[in-house]
Amino acid sequence: MKRRQFVSRAGAGLAALYPARSWLGPWPTAAWLLIPMDDSQTDHLKAYGVAYRALKRGVKAEWFLNYRSGAFLLPSDAGTARDAALAGVMVEPVDDSQLVQIRGGLRNGNMDAVPLEKPPKVAVYAPPNAPPWDDAVTMALNYAGIEFEKVWDAEVLGQKLKTYDWLHLHHEDFTGQYSKFFLNYAGSAWLVEMVERNRAMARSLGLPSVPALKRAVAVAISDFVEKGGFLFAMCTATETLDLTLAADGNDIAASYADGDPMDPNATARMKWDRAFAFRNARLELSPTTPVYSDIDGHQVNSPERRQPLGSYTLFNFSAKIDPVATMLVQNHRQVIPDFYGLTTSFTRKTLKPGVTVLAEEPGASWVKYIHGERGQGTWTFFGGHDPEDPQHQIGDAPTDLSLHPHSPGYRLILNNVLFPAAKKKELKT
Amino acid sequence: MCLRLVPAIWSVLLLLPVPVWSQQPGMTRAFDLERRGDYAGAAAAYRAVLTNRPADVSALLGLERSLLPLNQGADILPAVRAALEAAPSSSAVYGVALRAWAATDQSDSVRATAERWARSAPTEEAPYREWGAAELGRQNRAGARAAYLRGRERLGRPDAMAAEMAQLSLSEGDYTVALREWLLAVRRLPGYRATAVATVSQAPPPARDHLLRLLGGETDLVSRRIEADLRAHWGDPLGAARTLAPALPADRVQAIAVLRSLLDQLKMLRGSEAKQAQGLVLEALAERSPEAQASRLRLEAAQAYTASGDRAGARRMLAGLTDDQAAPSSVASDAATTLVSVLISEGKLDQAAERLGQLQPKLSADEYDHLRRGLALGWMRSGDLVRADSAIAPDSSVEGLALSGRIRLYRGDVRGAVDLFKAAGPYAGDRSEATLRTAFLALLQPLERDSLPELGSALLQLERGDTADAIGKLERVAAHLPARQGGAELHLLAGRLSAASGKPADAERLLRAAAVKEAPVTAPAANLALADVLISARREAEAVQVLEHLILDYPQSALVPQARRKLDEARGAVPRT
Repeated sequence: MKRRQFVSRAGAGLAALYPARSWLGPWPTAAWLLIPMDDSQTDHLKAYGVAYRALKRGVKAEWFLNYRSGAFLLPSDAGTARDAALAGVMVEPVDDSQLVQIRGGLRNGNMDAVPLEKPPKVAVYAPPNAPPWDDAVTMALNYAGIEFEKVWDAEVLGQKLKTYDWLHLHHEDFTGQYSKFFLNYAGSAWLVEMVERNRAMARSLGLPSVPALKRAVAVAISDFVEKGGFLFAMCTATETLDLTLAADGNDIAASYADGDPMDPNATARMKWDRAFAFRNARLELSPTTPVYSDIDGHQVNSPERRQPLGSYTLFNFSAKIDPVATMLVQNHRQVIPDFYGLTTSFTRKTLKPGVTVLAEEPGASWVKYIHGERGQGTWTFFGGHDPEDPQHQIGDAPTDLSLHPHSPGYRLILNNVLFPAAKKKELKT
Repeated sequence: MCLRLVPAIWSVLLLLPVPVWSQQPGMTRAFDLERRGDYAGAAAAYRAVLTNRPADVSALLGLERSLLPLNQGADILPAVRAALEAAPSSSAVYGVALRAWAATDQSDSVRATAERWARSAPTEEAPYREWGAAELGRQNRAGARAAYLRGRERLGRPDAMAAEMAQLSLSEGDYTVALREWLLAVRRLPGYRATAVATVSQAPPPARDHLLRLLGGETDLVSRRIEADLRAHWGDPLGAARTLAPALPADRVQAIAVLRSLLDQLKMLRGSEAKQAQGLVLEALAERSPEAQASRLRLEAAQAYTASGDRAGARRMLAGLTDDQAAPSSVASDAATTLVSVLISEGKLDQAAERLGQLQPKLSADEYDHLRRGLALGWMRSGDLVRADSAIAPDSSVEGLALSGRIRLYRGDVRGAVDLFKAAGPYAGDRSEATLRTAFLALLQPLERDSLPELGSALLQLERGDTADAIGKLERVAAHLPARQGGAELHLLAGRLSAASGKPADAERLLRAAAVKEAPVTAPAANLALADVLISARREAEAVQVLEHLILDYPQSALVPQARRKLDEARGAVPRT
């Protein structure tokens, strides 16, 4: 046998001893895989999906708060390496001695390691025919590959919420006024369909009007949180959920929604102790102005009050003392460009005492991102519609998140999806 | 006040004579404070000016601008009342007053102010226009419409405020009414035509036929021009040209202006229909132009017809032009060149060669070489490689080398073709030719053969447009080659051709033959193409498997990012593009 043939055959024999797992990379012996979340990460959003799916497979993970912008640590198994390779997520092999060093750093700085144990069961409150691209959370979940189910009024009022850990609300108008577009967009096909769908749902559930239907749903959602659920809301849902809860039978809906006009003294009759986040807001009385109250600082649909977009800044919390707030602000950017929604921000003067402000626009009279507890559960409100479509208009092309894999705004949404996994005990009743 | 009015206020301000305020210390200070963003200070300074001169329009507008960011728009009302008392017929003051009352939701005051303004200026549209704008600022479309209609009635002109009514109808999505109003507006003021077309062209496709029928019922030139413009916007350039032709005014100058306007639009469009429409319009222009210009226009028409594939039209334009002694020499020369191109595209290669021979003394070397390469390409596509070779033989330019490479390739001379392609380099010819050459090199380099006549024959068939025959021949050649030595590349090419020919089953079979681990350079591209075929057949689950295989087994491939994107699409994680 010639020397060249020998080398070739011997090499082939050796290669055959190892399975063809090129995607495992050059570190088949590392005990751990670290998913860095700083600027070295190739796809921040899909990284959450990799961590979530690892939890689904029964793997125990850890979230290293404030370490490399919120890195995840996972045991090095073939499933995780394969998943990360498919998703284009950068992982780094870490052996035990390196891990000891990392943990030493976590002990000494404003950092901490939070175990992630159980993937939350996720529900998104959305109409059955809602396109997936109309909701930032649905887009983020789809892009990251995190499973979720849609629920709508019938499911919420049918007690189905108790089967979920995490509920997301997007731009639903819980005052039942169709986002107050009823008069300005009269005749538009999408509005006609929305009105018909909601009225039919109210009829089928034996409720007299759409505002009554949405109030019943809001109360059920409040009950879900009281009993240990995690609520995340964006855009109009934040403001209208609280307004509806605080109204508590007081008529805050225009006549086109429930047949009689709004109570002119509604502002004075609000019961703010029912609300999650807000108090002492002044209601918008005009049925044609698509604004609900002075809770929103930006008032995007009121030409004379509309405020320009700036940037919001995430707060730094103590990872060891305040891990929940720290989890919610994990990011590779501290200052993030703002984006409009029907409700874009929350004025400081209308925040209840005890609400945790997670992000604010420095110097402005509003904040962007807030969090609080109710009963055994928690709620988080994030103003705005789509973090990567700052001026979102009806009919705009859908956002393609593969063009924004490092979106810091979308990271905040996904922090909320994973943070319930960090709870060490069952919060559901 | 509506934010969109701010530029309007500024423009009014800028129209004022500069010395009026620049010479006044109070105004200068107020402007300075406003520029520095001290709106509260600016408002106080403007108020100070207004105390002495309540009808000072610059100060009033300045106060309006300064109160806006302070969210104190309503605070201007006392100043507005004082200004109206001091200058009861000032349009600018009335405008501010309307906006102020609208912002404070005092609709009765808005109406009363507008009526008062209208009484002081009974023939003007401005009071009703501003009234409507103020109502729109409050999102009150019905109020705005009532204001415009009131103005129309009071002025006794059915076309008054037509542009505003059109815009209002557009904001409500009523394109029919918008178009009717635009017709009124354009007939009164032709300058509105561009805006009318730009806005109505946004109508959704299902509404367009109805709008065109509506226009078809009108008989005047305004309607025909709008119809032609809309047809051009909506992808019917030929319809545009044909709509306009019978309506052209008898006056030559007017007709030329109308045709030029349409031509400008058509030149922005691509595609053969757009080129043919350009040809029609240029021909019509030539008929109405003095002879010196007409020759040039006929030549341009011929070139447009040639580009559209309308050889008869091109010939009609060129007839006589080449031998026309009165035509400028540059036009005659260009016409002769164009005629050679037309003859080549018609396949009349002998005539083209004869014409080219006659033209040679009049042409520059570059022009002559360009036409000769076109002739060689024509011979090549006719299958006559000998004459193609002889036509290109003296040409030592890089474009000539590239073309010689293709002729060698079609003869089966693999080594010779590769050498010539390399000699031609990456920049010869246009972008598509350079891309084609690179693709040929990628195909030929793994072959490790000097000669492969069957492959040349297959590629020549492809060049001549016989894709089905070419696919069969490529597959037969590929079957006799090891995957690593070109077999996989040829299967990939045949698979892509099958997919493009609408034969997904053949494409899948050929691409699977190409996506083998023995050909690691070719396999990622074959897998990606295979995933495309599967996704088109709505077999997303199988496509996901193929793409995962690509990403995991060829992680270093440059195609991995594309594969991940396609994987997201197949899984529904991102919107389809």
